[in-house]
Amino acid sequence: MNDMAKPPRSRAAKWTRRGFIGAGALAGGALIVGVAVRPGNPVGKLGPIVAGGEGEQLVNSWVKIGADNVVTAIVPHCEMGQGAHSVLAQMLADELDADWSLVRVMQAPADGNYVVTDTARGFVAPGTLDAPDWLEPTWNGLFTKISQLGDVMITGGSSSIRTTGQRTMRIAGAAARQMLIAAAAREWGVAAAEIVTANSTLSHQASGKSAPYAQFAAAAAEEDMPQTPALKAPKDYRLMGTDAPRTDIPEKVTGAAQFGIDATVPGQKLTYAAVRKVPVPGTRIASMKADVAKTMPGVLQILNMGDFLAVVADSYWQAQQALNTVEAEYTRSESAIRSTADQFAAFAAALDQAGDQGGKELVGKGDVAGALSVSAKTFTAEYRAPYLAHAPLEPMNATVWVRDGKCEIWTSTQVPLMARSAAAKAIGLSADDVTMHQPTLGGGFGRRLESDYVVMAARIGLATGYPVKMIWSREEDTQKGLFRCADLSRFTGGIDAKGRLVAWNNVFTQHNDPAEACDAPFYDVPHKSIRVAEAELHLPFAAFRSVDHSQQAFFVECFIDEAAHAAGRDPVEFRLAMLGNSPRHKAVLEKVAAMSGWGTKPAAGRGRGVALVQSFGTIVAEVVEVDMSQGKPRLTQVWCAADPGFAMNPDGFRNQMEGGIVFGLTAALHGEITLKDGAVEQGNFNDYPMLRIDECPPIAVEIINADPVHLGGAGEPGLPPIAPALANAIFAASGKRIRELPIAKHFA
Amino acid sequence: MMHRFALVAIGALALAACGSKVEPPVEQIVLREPGQPAGAAPAAATDLVAAGKAAFAVCATCHAVEAGKASGIGPNLNGVVGRKAGALADFGYSAALKQSGLTWTETELDAFIANPSGKVPGTSMAAGAVSDAERRKAIVAYLASLTP
Ligand code: HEC
Repeated sequence: MNDMAKPPRSRAAKWTRRGFIGAGALAGGALIVGVAVRPGNPVGKLGPIVAGGEGEQLVNSWVKIGADNVVTAIVPHCEMGQGAHSVLAQMLADELDADWSLVRVMQAPADGNYVVTDTARGFVAPGTLDAPDWLEPTWNGLFTKISQLGDVMITGGSSSIRTTGQRTMRIAGAAARQMLIAAAAREWGVAAAEIVTANSTLSHQASGKSAPYAQFAAAAAEEDMPQTPALKAPKDYRLMGTDAPRTDIPEKVTGAAQFGIDATVPGQKLTYAAVRKVPVPGTRIASMKADVAKTMPGVLQILNMGDFLAVVADSYWQAQQALNTVEAEYTRSESAIRSTADQFAAFAAALDQAGDQGGKELVGKGDVAGALSVSAKTFTAEYRAPYLAHAPLEPMNATVWVRDGKCEIWTSTQVPLMARSAAAKAIGLSADDVTMHQPTLGGGFGRRLESDYVVMAARIGLATGYPVKMIWSREEDTQKGLFRCADLSRFTGGIDAKGRLVAWNNVFTQHNDPAEACDAPFYDVPHKSIRVAEAELHLPFAAFRSVDHSQQAFFVECFIDEAAHAAGRDPVEFRLAMLGNSPRHKAVLEKVAAMSGWGTKPAAGRGRGVALVQSFGTIVAEVVEVDMSQGKPRLTQVWCAADPGFAMNPDGFRNQMEGGIVFGLTAALHGEITLKDGAVEQGNFNDYPMLRIDECPPIAVEIINADPVHLGGAGEPGLPPIAPALANAIFAASGKRIRELPIAKHFA
Repeated sequence: MMHRFALVAIGALALAACGSKVEPPVEQIVLREPGQPAGAAPAAATDLVAAGKAAFAVCATCHAVEAGKASGIGPNLNGVVGRKAGALADFGYSAALKQSGLTWTETELDAFIANPSGKVPGTSMAAGAVSDAERRKAIVAYLASLTP
């Protein structure tokens, strides 16, 4: 997995914020030994901020214990349905020997003390993870500083468990446990080594003494903090690797959970803003006519902000109704791209110009031209992926109150510190004057890595001076946000006389993150050239769940399938033959083949398709069975085998595979954003449909824990294989090869 | 190798956060303050100074008006009517405003608020333009009502 982790060098100069979070470049290579808590225990400074409750005691930055013996894990990542809050607490609680029924989770404040140092470090400098113990505090300190400079408090890249979980929460739990033991040993006058811990209780057998953690919490905070505490070996895990029930579910079931859109401003009456951005990216409002809106009930203010219109009213409904009556004219766009056809023509032109060898080489190996010229058989394929909107259930929104040179913001975000800085900048304040409140996210999917909506709300708040909640309508959310890029990708494959794939030539136009998403280096292919010939995008880009893997896996794994058919071989057997040097990938593929009964003949009219992808450190193979007997694809079953190294919470991990598959099926079957006159055509779920329950097949997931030290992610890796597996199944069932997404439109 | 590039990238991020430029509303139509009974005539019609005080909310993020209070992002505006432009010692004005030679009469204030950088090219007041003449009149009346 390690070689996979290194993006091609040419990419390095292009590190961007997206690069930073999207890159699946968390290399392993480290045993969990040289990890550290930050030197010096800042409980004195942080206590008042995060442990102000009656009887609460902060033991170190990440854990507090209440008088009622409740252990609270302070978690620096956001909760957006992926379950990270609960599983991060589970990891801390295991090292602390805490009683899971008495563990709670608290969202860490958007504060420089809670930057995700280990996420930054895992992506940026995985080599330092092998640092010797004595150097560890130095690296840790350096990356904390860097993260503070860059506002690195980020949830993305399927990284929370494998970075912050492994290298922050576990260490914090283990350190707190050692500090509790030291405090008890001092008080009881016994050797620390004789004290045992279990279920949030300390006990000393010889003297018969025992006490709940709460009793020693305050004394523990005074103890020296071990910087490299001993961590449990997998055989000693009690909570890690179990289906410990998630802490966030009860609130979500009862409806008590507070999402961004539920925000209230204590003691204040809220006002509401509805907004309408310019329809074509990059244009401005030339004029506004608001005569009708001025007379409508509830309206407080009508704003022309240059790049968007806003109506502020007593209720959201009144604001939106009034906004609907506001007429505007817009400046002309400078983009030559007006339609979807224009966009794909721009892609095709870039690829035509690149030809067989042009563009920037990302992966180069052997002699592709030579290998193609002597291949027994060659074939070409061109694949298309459309623009996609994230369509989270909770539309973009933010509540702000700007007053007396200060600003408070309540919003769902994956990047609270970056959002804070962006908002501060937009209203002429310093970041320190802006306080962020971080409710639960009603879906992130990469959309909430961007802060555009937070900035809009802050600008409205500056204009009003009173508390206002800005909410985007569903149409606004679908049309005016940022998008998964569209792309076009061309391949030429060469098969030798023995039916092996020997040449792989590929060029496409969009290269974002992870940098290695365009490659599948686990397959042995001797001659390879993968290139990018960049072409301009009309719509602004945002990372989408699994980012480039979301389109590249479709291109690559359909290409591999076409190669298998060109070679006249079974798609699973063809892939297995290329996995001689990748035993874990081979095991995953064999597992899914066994689960799906791959060798058996499907029922009449049905076919099965397979795909194998590694993304964000996790290897996933999926098989789809599809029934084409009605002339349209109907999925009958999905099987998924995944090797994340070690699933910290297997139920949560399966849940993420299923979620990734369902999200991926929405995109594969239905997802398409198109352009007309430079603007997005779709608006709501009627023309941008989600997968319906009657379209969703049973999904079986099995987990292989092949390496408990080097973990992969969970949030994204389930998605990439599903589109190619489905397209490949349709080919198997019907002989129809789908090279353009979404699939449903080929059967309309 | 990798971390060197990333350091550069993170440095660039930190820099991008500086150099702020506030983009104020191009047009702001205030009909009512929250809490005022719906259907009440716009405040401007009843009491100019009260309407000005409400409309001053857009300025208040940057400007204090209480006598003796320290300047914030913008200079304290208590007693500004009749004052020479750029006169407060506790505020770092732009050279443009300092050397403008203006005295803040009600007419000059009106012109400045209508288009700050048009009236004083090079001013560092990036936000706060008010295009609506009624609201400008109210704000100026409010400023004139403030006594040290
Ligand atoms: C984003 C912050 C900001 C906002 C909002 C703002 N101003 Fe200013 N204002 C400034 C700054 C900064 C200066 C100093 C300009 C310079 O030095 O060129 C200034 C200067 C002034 C001056 C000149 C004062 C003097 O001592 O010479 C007046 C008058 C003024 N502003 C009025 C207003 C009014 C009225 C509003 C609201 C309609 C407003 N400002 C909104 C930042 C702001």
